[in-house]
Amino acid sequence: MSTMPIIEIRDLSHRFSDGRMGLCRINLEIQQGGFILIAGANGSGKTTLLRHLNGLLLPTSGTVTVAGIPVGKDPLKVRQMVGMVFQDADSQIVGETVYEDAAFGPENLKLDPREVRRRTEDALSAVGLTPLSEQHPFLLSAGEKRRLAIAGILSMGPRVIVFDEPLSNLDFPGTRQVLGQMVSLHRSGHTLLVATHDLEPLMAYADRLILMKAGKVARDGHPAALVSDLEAFGVRPPGSIRFGVESRPCRN
Amino acid sequence: MPELTAFTYRPGTSLLHCMDVRAKLVLVVLVGLASLNMHPVSLLVLTGILGWLFRASKRSVVSLLKTLRYYGVLLGFVVLARGVNLSLEPPWGWHAVTVDPHGLREGALVCWRLGIVVLAGALFVSTTRSSQMKAAVQWVLAPVPLVPEKRLSFMIALTLRSFPLIFLQARETAAAQRARGIENRKNPLYRMKTLAVPLLRRTLQDAEKLAVAMEARCYQEDRTDPVLSATRADWRALAAGVGGCVVLLLV
Repeated sequence: MSTMPIIEIRDLSHRFSDGRMGLCRINLEIQQGGFILIAGANGSGKTTLLRHLNGLLLPTSGTVTVAGIPVGKDPLKVRQMVGMVFQDADSQIVGETVYEDAAFGPENLKLDPREVRRRTEDALSAVGLTPLSEQHPFLLSAGEKRRLAIAGILSMGPRVIVFDEPLSNLDFPGTRQVLGQMVSLHRSGHTLLVATHDLEPLMAYADRLILMKAGKVARDGHPAALVSDLEAFGVRPPGSIRFGVESRPCRN
Repeated sequence: MPELTAFTYRPGTSLLHCMDVRAKLVLVVLVGLASLNMHPVSLLVLTGILGWLFRASKRSVVSLLKTLRYYGVLLGFVVLARGVNLSLEPPWGWHAVTVDPHGLREGALVCWRLGIVVLAGALFVSTTRSSQMKAAVQWVLAPVPLVPEKRLSFMIALTLRSFPLIFLQARETAAAQRARGIENRKNPLYRMKTLAVPLLRRTLQDAEKLAVAMEARCYQEDRTDPVLSATRADWRALAAGVGGCVVLLLV
């Protein structure tokens, strides 16, 4: 695994239009190929931080660079490199079929129609949705919708994939499907950043945990080293830690 | 899970599914206009043809009627407005209401024509992908100066995409309000307001989320457009449709 930082955040602060401070002097380096969890209580700044990584929000002060490109300078280029999977899968569906939705990103990149088709088919195949490509997206299960959102990002060829609460509102089979997908993406060389409340299913696969509180990075280290701090930051510790039992991997 | 209406695209391999979207668009407009001037016999034939196409496309008549139940109420008012006369002279009573058979017939004919327009529209929308529809609208508007055809066509596609979600949210909001005893409130305006306000708020919030998600996926107006291609079969179908409408108009 390369250790070159793909994302560098320097003194990042963000103040919302109503005057509230969203982020306060964040400094982070994200290594290429990492699997990083970002945890914290509601309002701790997880989503605000993630939205700075692909230019959906711009810093009030400080800088965010992705592969050496300042996010505010070329947001389109950065968004191709940093794909974002949102918490509410329904609200990010654009197409009237699974195929159309997955093709939305490559079409925005104004690629040749044959290239759009190739990328879309590859992305749907990667998440196992090829048999459903003509299906209406709203008829998919919650896990399938989340996988479609991943396909919509994969078709744009990102190096980093940012997940905002990827396992929320999923049943057990859905959780297994999405988690399996995330692990497979990580193994194929993608850098994953995951904001989550639920560390239990993800902890075993992550190599770094960032705990946030009041818009600041409060702890940053290996997940195993930070488990004892979780409750203090409003994050439920995994059951295996609380009950002292060996955890079983959630995915297939 | 959202319920797909008769106006939602469903994949298929029927004649209409395979037809070029521009030919379909021309035929829908033609059928709509022609039906406004047709004799009832021609309307009957046209209804039969549309009904056959509806079945051939594996659309559900029940779903169509369910979707159009409120539209049916509106059509009922049209018939009443045409066929029932009220005398404004006192004394008022049932004797002041007179039924005009000719007006009723005229009203029913108007409803029939409107029904055909809606049926043709439902056939078009439910057998055409939104990307194809977007491309067709773009194709139609491209020669019109000062019209941002790409933006308009994308907005139409997004509107169609939103219908199932808005219906689902309306049902969920209504169910949540029934659970809190809204049916005890008899004032229809109050009930309408309590449904509309949260529904509108939620729809706007979802629109905001969609806009952010689109931005994250590099949305821009200048995108790769779907490739439209008309085959010989499309031209034959278009010619048959145009010829059929002319014949029915001449009856």
